[in-house]
Amino acid sequence: MNIVFLLIPLGMGLMVAAVAALFWAVNSGQYDDLEDASRPVLDSEDGQPPSELPIERQQG
Amino acid sequence: MRCAACSRAVTRAVSALAGVERVSVNVATARAAVDWDPQRVALKKILNVVSEAGFKPLPLAGKAAASVQRAEHRQALKRIGLAGLGMMQTMMFVYCIYASGAHGIDPGIAQYLKLAGLLIATPVLVYSGAPFFSGALRDLRRRSPGMDVPVALALLIAYAASVVNTFRGAGEIYFDSVTMFIFFLLAGRFVEMSVRRRNLSATEALARSLPTTVARIAKDGATERIAPGLIRQGDLLSIPKGAVIPVDSLLAAGEAVVDESLLTGESVSITKQVNEPLSGGSINVGQPIRVVATGCASQSMLASIVGLLERTQAERPAIVRTADGVASWFVLLTLTLAAAAGLFWIFAEPARALPAALAVLVVTCPCALSLATPAAMAAATARLARLGLLVTRPDALERLARVDVVVVDKTGTLTSGMPVVELKDTRRGYSRAAAFQTAAALESASDHPIAQAFRKHATPARVAVDLQEFAGRGVEGRIDGAIWRLGTHRFVKELTQEPGADLSGLSNDAGAGIALGNSEGMIATFVLADGLRPGALRAVEQLREMGLDIAIASGDQQEVVDEIARKLGVQEAVGRLTPQAKLALVQQRESAGTRVLMVGDGINDGPVLAAASVSCAMAQGSAVAQAAADLLLLNDSLGTLAEAIRGARRMRAVIRQNLAWALVYNLGAVPLAAMGWIAPWVAAVGMSTSSLLVVLNAARLARSPGASQ
Repeated sequence: MNIVFLLIPLGMGLMVAAVAALFWAVNSGQYDDLEDASRPVLDSEDGQPPSELPIERQQG
Repeated sequence: MRCAACSRAVTRAVSALAGVERVSVNVATARAAVDWDPQRVALKKILNVVSEAGFKPLPLAGKAAASVQRAEHRQALKRIGLAGLGMMQTMMFVYCIYASGAHGIDPGIAQYLKLAGLLIATPVLVYSGAPFFSGALRDLRRRSPGMDVPVALALLIAYAASVVNTFRGAGEIYFDSVTMFIFFLLAGRFVEMSVRRRNLSATEALARSLPTTVARIAKDGATERIAPGLIRQGDLLSIPKGAVIPVDSLLAAGEAVVDESLLTGESVSITKQVNEPLSGGSINVGQPIRVVATGCASQSMLASIVGLLERTQAERPAIVRTADGVASWFVLLTLTLAAAAGLFWIFAEPARALPAALAVLVVTCPCALSLATPAAMAAATARLARLGLLVTRPDALERLARVDVVVVDKTGTLTSGMPVVELKDTRRGYSRAAAFQTAAALESASDHPIAQAFRKHATPARVAVDLQEFAGRGVEGRIDGAIWRLGTHRFVKELTQEPGADLSGLSNDAGAGIALGNSEGMIATFVLADGLRPGALRAVEQLREMGLDIAIASGDQQEVVDEIARKLGVQEAVGRLTPQAKLALVQQRESAGTRVLMVGDGINDGPVLAAASVSCAMAQGSAVAQAAADLLLLNDSLGTLAEAIRGARRMRAVIRQNLAWALVYNLGAVPLAAMGWIAPWVAAVGMSTSSLLVVLNAARLARSPGASQ
């Protein structure tokens, strides 16, 4: 049963890793706008340089 | 801003300041409207007081608000994430202890698991649970307990008991309950806030539709980009395709195609000519254009609409204030009940005392009670704004739902006020189409409203030459060699040389009649009528299907009114009414116990509109800001009104459902929890679901009903 003493800290380590990954994802802005990010693909017209896409303006 | 208590705290703090005349805080929209005297109290002072009360004052729009909102959104996600992961871990450890109960567990391992649970629950409590504690502290400082107080108390008690029991090495631990409370309550709150925010998106879409910069063309032809707030009257602006016109302006050159759907809810492209006015907020869907600003951004129709919407959303109708009062007593009652349940179980069965008290604290949901009405109102108001109907007073929707009679002022509502020509008769074998085509050909060069009315009817199939206009009489032209005249009977008769006897039947209404003739004689006669608005018939039918009586009250000639009433199938139509007589008519109806919805064009009918239960005005252009009616119809379509009444009725039904649910839930759940029949985790789920249910039910109102159209 002594393996438990090793496995539990291991599990907690995994949880810490998961929390760290989530915090990183949130902080890097991945969840800021879940709706609009899908739209510029549809809006852009053929031949239009990508710099004129609306998404560029938002980030700038 | 979550609960009735929060809005009361802000209201109390701000209204205590000298120089503040009126404060109104809406909990569903998290907005405050303050009337203050800048001479006696500075805006900064008001904002300070709000932050002292524990709230972050934010301007309604702009970069600052957006970045704060984003930071809050991120923090909420992180809190939920930590609580969720922590919950899973603790649950695993605690489950081992529970599950091993029958077989016995090595005490060393059990203690190890408990310590591990403590290690995880602590950061969850401190980081994820922070909003509950800060909320509770704020409530206690203000001495007006909101829903955070019972929750924070439950968390603290459960955590403290678990820590003590862990180190004592005996007794139950509740680390799983603590993390679970936090996770469910945070998640419920997060979804609830998102839904509420989405309900408001109509206003936000309007406010945000303004571009961040505008291209201004200087006198020397150079282009500079400026903020819309810096636009001055007379500035020449360049509007690219697809951009929003930021201010009311005149088209400087060429032709423009604009879409005013942001303002009116109707997505129709409208063609504008040089020097025609363009409303701020319309979208340029055609080629790039240049416009001359006629005002600044804060005076545009768009700004008026946003202002009115915000005012409505910041006000709290009477029914909401009552619910808020009840909710705050409810929290006190909850605390008392939890203490009573705990005391009872300590004597009856000590092991169940803590879970029962925790369940009572967590299960009660005063928020369902105080959110029931404002959430539904906010959703309904936002949806109507998208349809093109502005609600200017928060109580108006409630009253609109109970209307029995719709009294319509004819001109400008049922009829367009633009002349429409109708064929009376033709002679000499001419067909209806031929008569209209000939008339349209003769009028093809004229700008007169009557000429436009003819051209609307038919496109000229033949070309008329040598067109001549005789002011006040008519037009003359040559078609296929023959001379034709269109105009007053006398004017045409001069050409036809017909004896007067032929026209004797027409001489009575010769003033409004129009004749068409050539040298052979009279060909056709037309009458001018005030045209029905497109959709008026359909709208009247819809209103009637909804069980509403419809009456027409007009200042026009009785015959004209009768004619319109006949076309619409309206039984009751009174003409020749002075404004006083209209007022009397509405007052008489109201005193007879029927609730009247008065629909007018919003000009000169203020008293009549005020006398009715609910009033609706057709608002156009900048008149929006001055209109005194409860409802403003921005798109001139009576069909929207029928849709609005339907929406108001659904809103009332939703409010009733919400209040009924809040009542049933709390009355049912609290006794069960006090009896110890509800596990603490069920309580957390139940309370989150309850407030979520209320908000989601309200969100149904914001959706356009696909089935009913």
